[in-house]
Amino acid sequence: MLPKLKVSNLSCTRAGNLLFNNLNFEVNAGQNIEIIGSNGSGKTTLLRILLGLIHIGKGDMEWLDNKDNYNQFRDMECFYQGHSLGIKNLLSAEENLRLSSFSFGVSEEKIHSSLDRVGIERHSALASELSVGQKKRISIARWLLKDFGIYFIDEPFSALDDEASNLIEEIIEELNKKGASFVITGHRPSNVVSSQINLDHEV
Amino acid sequence: MKSNIYNWFFLILRRDLLIASRRSSTYITPLIFFLIVISFFPIALSPDQEFLRSLAPGVIWIAALLSSLLAIETIFSEDFRDGTLDEFFISNDPSFVLVFAKVLCHWLVTGFPILIASIISSLILYLPFNSLMPMICSLILGTFFMSLLGAIGAALSLGKSAILSAIIVLPFSIPTLLMGTAAVASAIDYQDYSGFLLIMGAMLAIGIPGLCLLTVEAILLNYE
Repeated sequence: MLPKLKVSNLSCTRAGNLLFNNLNFEVNAGQNIEIIGSNGSGKTTLLRILLGLIHIGKGDMEWLDNKDNYNQFRDMECFYQGHSLGIKNLLSAEENLRLSSFSFGVSEEKIHSSLDRVGIERHSALASELSVGQKKRISIARWLLKDFGIYFIDEPFSALDDEASNLIEEIIEELNKKGASFVITGHRPSNVVSSQINLDHEV
Repeated sequence: MKSNIYNWFFLILRRDLLIASRRSSTYITPLIFFLIVISFFPIALSPDQEFLRSLAPGVIWIAALLSSLLAIETIFSEDFRDGTLDEFFISNDPSFVLVFAKVLCHWLVTGFPILIASIISSLILYLPFNSLMPMICSLILGTFFMSLLGAIGAALSLGKSAILSAIIVLPFSIPTLLMGTAAVASAIDYQDYSGFLLIMGAMLAIGIPGLCLLTVEAILLNYE
């Protein structure tokens, strides 16, 4: 089977610092990649380069073994969650899901079942009334809205208690079985089954 | 399901209007600011009817420009900070739609209250009844144009000082100010004002596609 994403010889220099050099990896269906590194090692930059949000990387990125397919693939199959979660304080939990850019064609039942799955009880509570951890749970509920191909998640395990961390691991495993892949970042290796790229050692 | 442009447009508009409706300061602040500025003129200068009537077009227009730019920098800054803009740029739908929906929403929550306040202020400044119509028409065209201009300023000053966007935008508001005041002033003198409104309409017609596309480029400068 073709890899969903194949990165070869990717390098990036930012503000005079070499962040990473000649990265090579493949993201295959149902497999995960974990990008490990200390603060400022370029984890977020790497994710944003892969997603085409910034164009400062040098190297090749091939999606579905077809460079021309890149944009279309990004549109249909990618899910991105940055450091700031994209959760609006003045919207309720369910509205945050309903009015997200990832929610086209998603049914109401799906929205409510996703919120139930991540343990949010009051669907109509404004996000400003919820804790940071609960907001993070809302953002995780968005993973379940549709069957995305690759999830790019920046530090999914920060600001979470053990229960929520276990929940994420369960959900990742569940989605892996459906063929979805995760590219996640973190300061230290998590319990998620994955191949790891250590940016601290790459330079 | 593949999203289409209309779905996008209404999604953004619905979300932003919902957020604005829950934060009452977004639509009340420009309204109050506008009325306070207008009511200072009779107090500070003179309550003389003829005098105020001659000042009215300029005063209403300056107050409208300033109050429509009062909170312009928030149009993109919040979405930029909380990562919502990233989501828009990952999906491949035209960013033009995003900018236009945001500008329209900004106009609905600031420009529209100013229109209502301008009717009240025309009483304060003894504006004759026959100039009410050109005032409202020119304000509709002009404040929408200001929202478009403001969007560029906001995009250029993303993540920087809040007042910067107003400083970038205000010099470019001079044509709008000239046409708007001229339309109202000619109506007071019973002259034909339609030419000024037509020019403002033309500016808006060029501005909607032109300025929206420029704003997209200005936002993308932050993604480098």
